[in-house]
Order: sequence, then C-alpha cells, then structure tokens
Amino acid sequence: MTVASNASNSFIMSLPSPVPEILTHPVGHGLVMGTIILTFFMLISAWSIWFERRFAGRMQSRVGPNVVGPAGLLQPIADAIKLLRKENLVPSGADKVLFWLSPPMTLFFTLATLAVIPLSEDLLVAELDIGLLWVLAFSGLLLFPTWIAGWASNNKYTLFASMRAVAQGISYEIPLLFSAIVPVVVVGSLSISDIVRYQGEHGWLLFWPLGPGALGFLIFFVASLAEANRIPFDVPEAESELVAGVTVEYSGMMYGLFPMTEYVHTLITSALASALFLGGWYGPFGWAPGVHWMVGKTLFLFFVIFWARWSLVRFRSDQLMRLCWVWLVPLSLLCVCGAALWVVYVGGVA
Amino acid sequence: MSTDHASTHVVTPWTALTPPPRVDPYVDLSEFEADGDLMVLNLGPQHPSTHGVFRIKLVLDGEVIVKAVGYPGYLHRGVEKLCEKLTFANITPILDKNDYLAPMTSEQCFNMALEKIAGVEVPRRGRWIRTLLAELQRIASHLIAIGTFAMDIGGAIGGGTNLFMWTFRERELILNAFEELTGSRFHYNTSCFGGQRHDLPAGWDLGVIKALDQIERRMVEYADFGTANPIFVNRCRGIGVLGRDLALELGLSGPLGRASGIDHDLRRDAPYHCYDELQINVPVLTAGDCEARYDIRVQEVRESIRLSRQLLAGVPEGPICSEKPNIGPTSVRVKGAPAYVAIEGPRGELGTFLIPTDKGTQPYRMKIRPPSLHAVAVVEHLLPGNNLSDAVAILGSLDPIMGEVDR
Amino acid sequence: MKTLIYSLRSMAIALRNAIRPPTTEGFGYPERVRPERYRNSFALVHEPVGPDTPESGPEEACIGCRKCELICPSEIIVVTPAGKAVSPTTGKKRGYLESFILDMNACIFCELCVQVCPTDAIVMCQEPTAPVFFREDLLLTREKLYANEHQRTPAWATGAKLVDMQDPDKLSPEQQAAKDALAAEAAAKKAELAAAAAAAASAAAAEAAEPALVSEVDKSASEPPETPAEGAEEVN
Repeated sequence: MTVASNASNSFIMSLPSPVPEILTHPVGHGLVMGTIILTFFMLISAWSIWFERRFAGRMQSRVGPNVVGPAGLLQPIADAIKLLRKENLVPSGADKVLFWLSPPMTLFFTLATLAVIPLSEDLLVAELDIGLLWVLAFSGLLLFPTWIAGWASNNKYTLFASMRAVAQGISYEIPLLFSAIVPVVVVGSLSISDIVRYQGEHGWLLFWPLGPGALGFLIFFVASLAEANRIPFDVPEAESELVAGVTVEYSGMMYGLFPMTEYVHTLITSALASALFLGGWYGPFGWAPGVHWMVGKTLFLFFVIFWARWSLVRFRSDQLMRLCWVWLVPLSLLCVCGAALWVVYVGGVA
Repeated sequence: MSTDHASTHVVTPWTALTPPPRVDPYVDLSEFEADGDLMVLNLGPQHPSTHGVFRIKLVLDGEVIVKAVGYPGYLHRGVEKLCEKLTFANITPILDKNDYLAPMTSEQCFNMALEKIAGVEVPRRGRWIRTLLAELQRIASHLIAIGTFAMDIGGAIGGGTNLFMWTFRERELILNAFEELTGSRFHYNTSCFGGQRHDLPAGWDLGVIKALDQIERRMVEYADFGTANPIFVNRCRGIGVLGRDLALELGLSGPLGRASGIDHDLRRDAPYHCYDELQINVPVLTAGDCEARYDIRVQEVRESIRLSRQLLAGVPEGPICSEKPNIGPTSVRVKGAPAYVAIEGPRGELGTFLIPTDKGTQPYRMKIRPPSLHAVAVVEHLLPGNNLSDAVAILGSLDPIMGEVDR
Repeated sequence: MKTLIYSLRSMAIALRNAIRPPTTEGFGYPERVRPERYRNSFALVHEPVGPDTPESGPEEACIGCRKCELICPSEIIVVTPAGKAVSPTTGKKRGYLESFILDMNACIFCELCVQVCPTDAIVMCQEPTAPVFFREDLLLTREKLYANEHQRTPAWATGAKLVDMQDPDKLSPEQQAAKDALAAEAAAKKAELAAAAAAAASAAAAEAAEPALVSEVDKSASEPPETPAEGAEEVN
C-alpha cells in the first residue's frame, strides 16, 4: 500500500533513473527509508549526549564537555569508543544467557518501533494500518529486557530496581495507551500517517478538540516520561539509592546499549507525541508541510524532556504509583470519553 | 630436607570454596535472616549517597525497612591517639581533618580547651575574628548540607545536582575569602593557642560583604527551586520524624535538636568568643521531619549572614593573639586540670575534653565529642518503617560527617 | 496541578541559571591569580642582598637548626646540618645545611615550618608542585628547593612576618602611628642636638688653636654642656 501511494508521487518519479525503481520496489524502499530514518534517530540520540551534558552544565553554572573536538562535539564518539574498549564483565552467579540477552533485546524492541514512525509524507518505512498499535506494543515489550537484566545480574540492588521498573512500567502503560487512543477515536484510524493527515486538514489535535486534546497530550507526555524512566520518574534508576539501577553490573558496550536505547526511546516517543498531537509534518494552520516541522517538533519535545530531567527532583515510588492510579488513569479515561462524545456530537471522521 | 610444600599443598578451585557462616558480631539478626521474605541489603560503605563512608545494614520487607543497623568506623584514622604523640604546638592542623566541612570550628574548639586549662584570655580582636570565621564557616557548611540533601533526593544525574552545584558556587565565594585570609582554601590552621595566626588583610571585609549579599540573593532562588516544589516537599514532609524525647536521649544538638523542638544553642546559652555581645535569633521548629531539618539549616544560613554583617561592621583593633607565637614544638606549655570545652558547630555541640601531661607540652588524653556520632546513632531508630528512598533522604537530612564520627 | 505549576517554575529557574555565564572555565584556562597569602609548594631562599653580602653571592639563609623538622605534624622534613663555620657576611659563626628533604607526598600545608623558621629560610610558594610520574620525584631535595626560589612566586608568609602578626604586644595602626611619630620627634631632636654639639665642638677646636684666648675657650667650652642637659630633660 505504501509503495502504491508513493508511486504516484511526482517528486520521486522525477528523480534520475535507478531511484524511482528502487523506491517503488518494496525491499528497496524499505532499505533506503529504513537507513534514512535509522540514521536520523541514531545520530540525534548520539548527539543528544553532547547536548544534554552541555545544557546540564550551563544550568549548573559550569561549561560541560568542550575538549573533544570543537566545543566538545566529538564527545559521543569518544564515549562510544570508550565503551567499546571496555571489558564486558559478567558477574559470578549471573544467569549468563539472560544477562547477555537483555541489552540486544532492548535495542531490538526500540528500533523495531522505528518502522512506522513517519518523518514526513514520504519519509517512512512502512505505513501500517495498525501503526500506533505496533509502536505501543513494542514499547510495552521493553519492560522484559529491563526485568531480565535486573534478575540476571545476581545483585539485590538490581532486583530491587527491576521490580520497581516493572511496577512503574505496567502502571504507566495504562494512561499512555488511553491518551494515545484519543487521536485514534477522533480520527478513526490506528495509522499514524492517517492521524497526521487528519491534523493537516482539521488542525492540530492539541487544540481541536481542546479539552481531550490538550489533556491527552499532557498525559501522554508524562506517561512516556515514566515509561522511559526519566526524572522525575527515575526511581528504577535512582542513583542516590541504587547507584545505576538495573544496569549496575553491566559494563562496556553491554552497558552502553542501555542508555543509548533510553535516548532513542525518548526520541521516538517525542516523535510519536508530535505526530499524534502536534500535527506531525504540518505547520500551524497547515502551512508549509514538510519534514522540517516534524523534526523541529520532535527536537523541541526532546529538549523539554532534558530540561525537565535536569530541573526536577524525583518522586518516591509510592508517590509515583499514586500519581498514576489516582490521577492519570481516571483523567485519561475521561479524555477518551470526552473525545468519543466530541466525535458523536461535534463531528469527526465517520 | 623439608617437605616440598608445592607437592603437598592442596589447591581448591575458588568456585568450590564455601563462604564462612555469616555471623554478625555486633547485632543479632538471626531472627530476621531466618525469615525468607526479608532481604538484607547493605547501604554502603561505597554508595553515591552516604555522606562519607558509612555502612547501614538494612533488613527489607519489599520496599519497607524492617531493621537498620549502622556501622561507622570506616574512616577511623586514630586521630586521638596520634594527637597524644604530637605536641600542642602542632596538633591544630590535624584537627582540621576531623570535621572537614567546618575546620575552623574544630580548630577553635581545641584551642579554647587549651586556653581554658591555662586560664588565658584571647584578646578582643582575636575573639572577634574567631566569631566571624565561625559564622562564615557555618554558612559554608550548611550550604553543602543543603546541596547534598537535594542531590540525595533528586539524583546525582538530575535535578538535585543543580542545587548542589549552585550551593557550591556560593560556597566558593566564602572559600575565596578564607583563601585571602589564611592562604589555604580548605584546611586553614588559623587558630592557635591564645588567638589567631592570621590577621585580616586590608579590604577583606568588602569582599566578604559582597559574597554575603550574593548568597542572600541566591537563597531565595533555592527556596523557590527546592522547598516550594511539591515534589520536593512530598519527599521530606513527615519523613523521619525525630521526637523530642528521642533527640534528648541520644544527645542531639544543633540543627537536628532544634528541628525537634530542643531550644538549645550554645552561642546563646553558654556564650563564648564574642557571642555575648551579639543578639542571636535561634530558629526552633517542632516537626522533627526532614523538611524541618532542611528549613532550620536555611534559616540558620540567613541568621549567620546577618550576624556576619554585624560582626564585619565593627572589628576592634588590637593584637590577635595573647600568647607568644609558636616557634618550636615545646613553645606551647599548658599545665593544669583537665577541661571540657564545647562550642556550637554547624552540626551541633562539638566538644573537646583535654588532659594535659605533667610536662604540659602534649595531651595525655584528648577526646573529641563529635555531634555527628550522635546523629548517626539516630539511624537505627528512624529508618524502620520507611522506604529505601526515604532512608537516603533521612541520612541526607542528618548531615553526618564521617571524619568527625570516626576520627 | 500544583505539582505541575511548581515544576514549571523550577524548570524556569534552571533555565535562568543556564543563561548566566558559567562560573567554571574549561581546559586551557589561564593560570588563576592567587591571593598573596596563598600557600602551596615550598622553596628555600638565600639571604636578602644587602651591603654585607660577599662577592660570591648571598648566602643560604638556612642554618640547619632543624626546628621545621621538629614542628612538622606529618614528619615529612629531614634536615642534616653541616656544622658551623664563620660567615663571610657577618663575620660570626653560623650553622650551614648539608641536606634537606621535604616529602610532598604527605605534606598537609599547615605553614608551621614557615612560622618557626628563625631565619625565614623556608617559604611557601603559590604554584603547586607539578604532577610527576614517580613518587620519588615528589621528594623535594635541597637543589629543587633552592631552584624553586627563582622558579616560583613566594607566598606572603615568612617566619618573621607570621611571628610579628601574632605578637601579643602588637599595636593597632593608630597606636603604631602615634608611637612612630614620637620616635621621629625624638630622633629629630637628637639630631639637632648632635649637630649643635658638633658645631660647638668644631668651634671649640678652632679656638683651641689660638692659645691666647684660653679664657674665652674655657668660657665657650662651659656653655655647650648645658644645652644637652636641657635637651635630655625635654626628651625624657
């Protein structure tokens, strides 16, 4: 279906000879677009290490990395080389299979969600009818590698952290899913590209319907912070209590995969939030649609996530649970009901 | 010909070695360890949050702590024994390292003990400078306590570190002032028997007044950032409530005692240095929880700023030391009856009990009464019933300095 | 809801701090200007150049008295004196130094060695010891210490200055100024009298050359002793 819709695109048809054939061929399209999207997300997450450390430094009245490369821009490469060169220690008594399996599993589940994230009308790997379900399912599966890593490390601290992570993860999935359903109800489709196209015609879902839209966006944002274990929902990774949480016993690139996937996952949820609620690749009032809007919104939300991380202190685990079950779950249910009522009485895609 | 050791020595592969039975020589935890649902977790000695090297053995039921046992002693350096070998003339720089966040007060306490035994009075300018330095040191120490508490609550990689870095930035201003006065930023050796070793340089007070102004302005920001934030407040309010009776029983003083309702401040009740000439407003709260301890420290910083300004306005002239300067190891001779002197350090009542030898050049016995030791004893009473996150918050609010606890 | 609003406020404060210039400097920063009393490494110095300095150069100030070795709380100084000899500067016997080892591995920078030194021979410097690869290089020997005299900036404190600062009979600036003024007055008076006495003595000597005027010489010789007596009463 994706291929057919792209075949009618005049821009692609106008490119020199081998390109349109590759891009209309299912495998070729997948490879090229996959490479573009993967590169985009991985590069942005890698350089977010640099940005986060510089920005955190400035907030704390210090400079941040500025030694490696001009203004410290090669810092992510230095970090990657350092982690690759380190020894991958396996603690004695650890369950070796599960211990080794956990980081690649995390990476796999995170990167699998990239298949349906659109950067613009054309820049997407596959336009699935159930795109949103695909993304949320794989995000939900991310709890397994965390849980496994905590158990397999043979360490009381990691066991603690993994239990906290699982409890937090499964609790916050509920408001996440319900607030993600708000655009689905209004638009009538689970496909992310359909939702963005609807927003192009009818205005951003953040503003219209106002109540369910804005509240839904807020709940989606907060719940995705919790799913990604970012401060203020940092309890599974609480440094001052559990040192490094689930990843205490990991070292080398086995460890490196965990923060890398955390950044990629955060970037993906920012992209998802901007696609679902903020209009994706359409500007306000549908101006000048294109990849620049999508990238800009994603990066803006990413920036806000970092900003929140370096400004707020963390919740305690029971306060976190209370926030979820007492506040977010009922509010997200109300949003869904509100969106449904809006569809029936005001209008929306039949 | 002796038996070849290598041929008779049995090598056990390390995987086959069995660990010795775990018997805790100090506390009997057998009934807890027998219960299969409980988990024994060591918080420390290496841990990003323990203030110094302090080990707490926790028995956890899920997330809730059932029993906590504290194990100090990881920083024991034998300071009191070392001082029995040194002479009075060269002990002072060693005592800097006891309470390493408030070295001025540690030095002053020891020298006051010597002066009490010898019946020597410090000249007025010397006493005035000591008072001023004690108040500035109190500000510097409380700034660290505030910063590390926020870091314990918020995370070493995260929002709490912001407050930590900012309080250190303010503390740098005070440390710059100390650097101009004594030549050293952190361990000063500026008190001596009879008074002070360093006199105020010209123009020093202007720099200090500017620093105090900036600290006062920034304290408002810290209040907005931390104490007004509901996430912060929910982590501290009602956590680790220390009752007045327990505080009295454990001998707590200073901010810990005043947060629990014990209205006792040695600066006001048993004045030393020049505190009898100053009006000291002592903040006292009754809640006894982490938030109260934090608030008391913030208020004490403000009070110390006010006192420092008052002190800087009227520094008297005159000599700073009433005894001949120290020019050799036996130049300080103090003979007399043993004496105990206590001052109000940033953590509470810091005391020195000193028995000089007959010759008068060395201590026969010097005992330091550290306020943090009593603070650390509180852990066993406060931690049970709380979460692991609260344990870290409580330990942060107690603000122990292990250098002082273990000496 | 209150949580959200206050969280946004915390974020705003954090952003405000991000916009302020940073307090720290990155690598390649210029050497920090230290206050004059800042104390870090060590140097042994020679005596200050004066009118009595011999042609071979100023002598070493250290007399090998070992007071710094005895006062050091960390026991890091080892001094070997070289016996006494006659000093070309003063002409009197004084001690000399054979070897001096200061172990920077264990120094606690307490400044006591500087305070007790009777000849201001050891001073502290403002530049820290450069990092080394071997622990032995942190043992400052006599050569390194004398080399530091020229390579590093000395701190303000010397033995005499510290002893003077802690002197219990130290006067305040006003008292010191008043005392100086009185001393200046007395000195001026004395100079006056000395000049008058010298003038009178030369006049008497000139008149003594003429034996005919002996009686006048006796008369004039009797006058000068009165004025010094009066002057002495005034000064006292």
